[in-house]
Amino acid sequence: MTGTLRQMLTCHWSARRIQRYLDADPAARLTPGEISRLEQHLATCEKCTQVADEHRVLHRALVLWSGGTAVDPRSVDRVRDFLSTINDEDTA
Amino acid sequence: MTAPRPPDDGTRKSSFREQVEPEIEVLLRVALTITSNQADAEDLVQETLLRAYRAIDRFDGRHPRAWLLTILRNTNANLHRRQRPGTIGDWELLRTARPAFGRAELPSAEDSFVDHQLHADLDAAVRALDPRFRAALILVDVHELSYSEAAAVMGVPVGTVMSRLSRARDRVRTSLRFSPLTRGDLP
Repeated sequence: MTGTLRQMLTCHWSARRIQRYLDADPAARLTPGEISRLEQHLATCEKCTQVADEHRVLHRALVLWSGGTAVDPRSVDRVRDFLSTINDEDTA
Repeated sequence: MTAPRPPDDGTRKSSFREQVEPEIEVLLRVALTITSNQADAEDLVQETLLRAYRAIDRFDGRHPRAWLLTILRNTNANLHRRQRPGTIGDWELLRTARPAFGRAELPSAEDSFVDHQLHADLDAAVRALDPRFRAALILVDVHELSYSEAAAVMGVPVGTVMSRLSRARDRVRTSLRFSPLTRGDLP
């Protein structure tokens, strides 16, 4: 009973950190202690491992979905030209 | 001891170009997400660059992408205010935000599988999201902005981005529970 409760609490604790762990964004890094605790939990909890895997695949699917870039390369060229114009006009 | 001399005009311009040029593509992608129109996106980015150039003396040189995205967001808000005073809220700017389609190179077989199998389900799941959540998901997961950069675009604190992103992902993940995404068909 106590073990089950502890497991539930750890799953809850982990669920709140899985996305930050996967993103590793500089604005919200987990502490080394949190990373270690989370990795230990993921090594033994099938349910949380599945959640983490789903997040990984979802992220990958969204990145692929964007096709890398949808911006017309000609748009990039035109904006680059515009950037040159700003400099040139200011110089003139 | 003499005070450091301010950068001359040539150095300033060169520095501006060096910092801005690598960000043009991401600016266009985000602008396209906001405007849903290639021509409007280009206009928005050009106006953003003009304003950035005028403000370069006040820029500390750190995090140029976040700085430019903030200007882009404010520029877009100003343009909308001019057109429809008082009708556009901060996150409303991204209400029509959707993943950008199109591909510059031929997809691999694996990519094609993901595209075809998930396209409809993913599209429906993302479109069903509240616009605030959808914006966070698109900026971070599709455009691969950092939390801070997404916060700059959305005009909200980083914590709000994280919270909206988390909810968006959980909802999409739940929606796709019976799709290939969670059946384990994908590597």
